[in-house]
Amino acid sequence: MTDTKPGPLRRCWNFLSRPSAKYSLLTLLVAGFVSGILFWGGFHTAMESTNTLEFCIGCHTMADNSFKEYKETVHYSNRSGIRVVCSDCHVPKDWAHKVAAKIKASSDVYHELMGSVSTPAKFEARRMQMAQHQWDQMKASNSRECRNCHSFEAMSPDAQKKSSYERHMAANKAGKTCIDCHKGIAHNLPAEYKDPDE
Amino acid sequence: MRTINTSLQAVAAAALLAALGAPAISQAADATAAQALARKEKCLTCHSVDKAKDGPSFKSVAAKYKGKADAEDHIVKQLTSGPKVKFPDGHEEEHKVIKASAGDIKNVAQWILSQ
Repeated sequence: MTDTKPGPLRRCWNFLSRPSAKYSLLTLLVAGFVSGILFWGGFHTAMESTNTLEFCIGCHTMADNSFKEYKETVHYSNRSGIRVVCSDCHVPKDWAHKVAAKIKASSDVYHELMGSVSTPAKFEARRMQMAQHQWDQMKASNSRECRNCHSFEAMSPDAQKKSSYERHMAANKAGKTCIDCHKGIAHNLPAEYKDPDE
Repeated sequence: MRTINTSLQAVAAAALLAALGAPAISQAADATAAQALARKEKCLTCHSVDKAKDGPSFKSVAAKYKGKADAEDHIVKQLTSGPKVKFPDGHEEEHKVIKASAGDIKNVAQWILSQ
């Protein structure tokens, strides 16, 4: 009985699990290290490309609704010429939270494919649910994404209106977080939303 | 002839009813739009409908301008030109300039004056 030739997977494993006869350990380590850097660079570039405005509005649900609303707000166009894009508010900057957000975003892909909010009527019907989910996330993270750029300590009493400055300082003292008051700054408020001051 | 007269009467009656009903219906729609704008522009941070806060209540504004011919124009100007307003603690600031269409601002002015 002749031995059958091992399958491609077995042959690959045999090759990889055998010690190198040709290359030194240092060569292999350096090659591995450099390959790792190249791979990581590629991975990072690919992931950051999913943080660009162009990528986000590639989905028509975003282009037709969220993007149009955001274009009317101060985070799109302002005196200082600072443009804040989708990922600045919706994707955490630190790696662990960023990757977690990217994994959770698979639900966005699912719903886009299923057409859950594919018409203006469907979008409006789920606006409150989507908004509340986002507000809950921001509250839980203590408005982490807002604080990427804004901080109570950096607020200037000379540059802010007195009533705004006092309100901000009081909020900071009371341990409040940005999203407690600043809802609807980049996208339309849901019809069901009630202002807490009402 | 008789049938045509009756039809015309029916149409006239329906038109009259519609005309009477229309203001009431449009008033309700206006209130919804006005409240949505008030929420969006954060008017309620400083103004309540019935209580004095940093700014006067809408009820007191409505009472102040009751019967005045230029009331609506005055409110619209207040919301669009950023005039200096006095706060309870005595300091003055520019009133927030409301970002909305002329129609929406007119609507919210009417709503305030109807409180």
